[in-house]
Amino acid sequence: MTLPIHDRVEAEALLTDHYLESLLAAHDRHAQDIPFDTALDSDVRRAAAKLRSNLTRVHPSFRFEERLAASLAEAAARLRLAPAAGGESGARRYEGLDYDPADRDIQMDPHDGDPTPRGRVTHPSRPLLIGGALTSAALSIAGAAYVAWRRSRPTSSAMERAVRLAHRQRAVRAASGAIARRGLD
Amino acid sequence: MPRPVFWKVGATDGIRRSQIAHLDRDRGLVVEARRDPTAFEPLYRRYLAQVYSYAYYELGDHHEAEDATERTFLFALSGLPRFQERAHPEDGQGASTFRVWLFRIARNVVANQRRGRRRHRWAPLEAASAVADPMDVEGRATDRAAAADAWAAVGRLPGDRRRAVVLRFVDEMSTAEIAGILGRSEGAVRVLIHRALRSVARDLDKREASFTPAELPGNPAR
Repeated sequence: MTLPIHDRVEAEALLTDHYLESLLAAHDRHAQDIPFDTALDSDVRRAAAKLRSNLTRVHPSFRFEERLAASLAEAAARLRLAPAAGGESGARRYEGLDYDPADRDIQMDPHDGDPTPRGRVTHPSRPLLIGGALTSAALSIAGAAYVAWRRSRPTSSAMERAVRLAHRQRAVRAASGAIARRGLD
Repeated sequence: MPRPVFWKVGATDGIRRSQIAHLDRDRGLVVEARRDPTAFEPLYRRYLAQVYSYAYYELGDHHEAEDATERTFLFALSGLPRFQERAHPEDGQGASTFRVWLFRIARNVVANQRRGRRRHRWAPLEAASAVADPMDVEGRATDRAAAADAWAAVGRLPGDRRRAVVLRFVDEMSTAEIAGILGRSEGAVRVLIHRALRSVARDLDKREASFTPAELPGNPAR
């Protein structure tokens, strides 16, 4: 009897899974012989053995481990103090965290290939927008104040004096022209 | 060491069967850490290497792995009041729902970190040298080449296949735990790993075919 492709893949995957259980257990007890079903693909077995011996656990440096332990202890002490200081029942969270971080939707790496569900982008954009708007408004007000201040306080550099003089002469010429025209009328 | 917590479950198909299910092995530590956040340290020490390994295999860089590990544990510490234990008998003995929850955080943190990159940098040789035994001088060159091949083959796998393989082989998680972390069914995880192994086998075959016999890993003349 031949199984449909989907069922066949699932059946093979189940065999692989059982083999991996044996492989990992054998490694724990330093056993050499690993029982396997003869129906299991030999390529899969070979690849599994290769990965088992080469994908080992990596340990961080001792310095990093202790530094992070200190950071966590500090953060934990702050969390413990929060209710005593009138905060909301120890719920002061890391970087404004007000959700379960494990349930946070993520947008996956577009190069990853697997059709994994793409969620909303979860960067906290609202505070950023509000902050940006406030900064922009503050800059505008500061800019306007600076221009007003500069206009009310003429400087005394030679170039600016020349510009002001030229501007004034143009105004004087326009005014005298207007007066002359009125006189002719 | 906290005492293991057992729970009586049963009632399937109208027949009341009594069954002992082993709940979250971290329950004692989690309860303690929720009561007093400064008691979080034993959980941190227990899972540091696992989380770090996962981040390192995913990111391929020690500094980035450290960043991801740090953020994962800080998120876990502050999010602990929201953690809910959802143990199922089929998770098997020793299954830890805290570990699943912690790795879901790690997965999110690492994925967000990877997203910022144009292209995933994978440095199999450097990575392999980091795990080779520094005392084994003779075996180092061969081991490093073999490890680099294996790492490179895993690095070329698409997202969830790669994650499933790393969680299965490096962190030695059960299919049920991986399913909880990746948000897929157990059957889907089994198929992911099976297909990943076939891809790795094909990849390794191709690499070996591209070597001359003298260059094959394991050849002492190499």
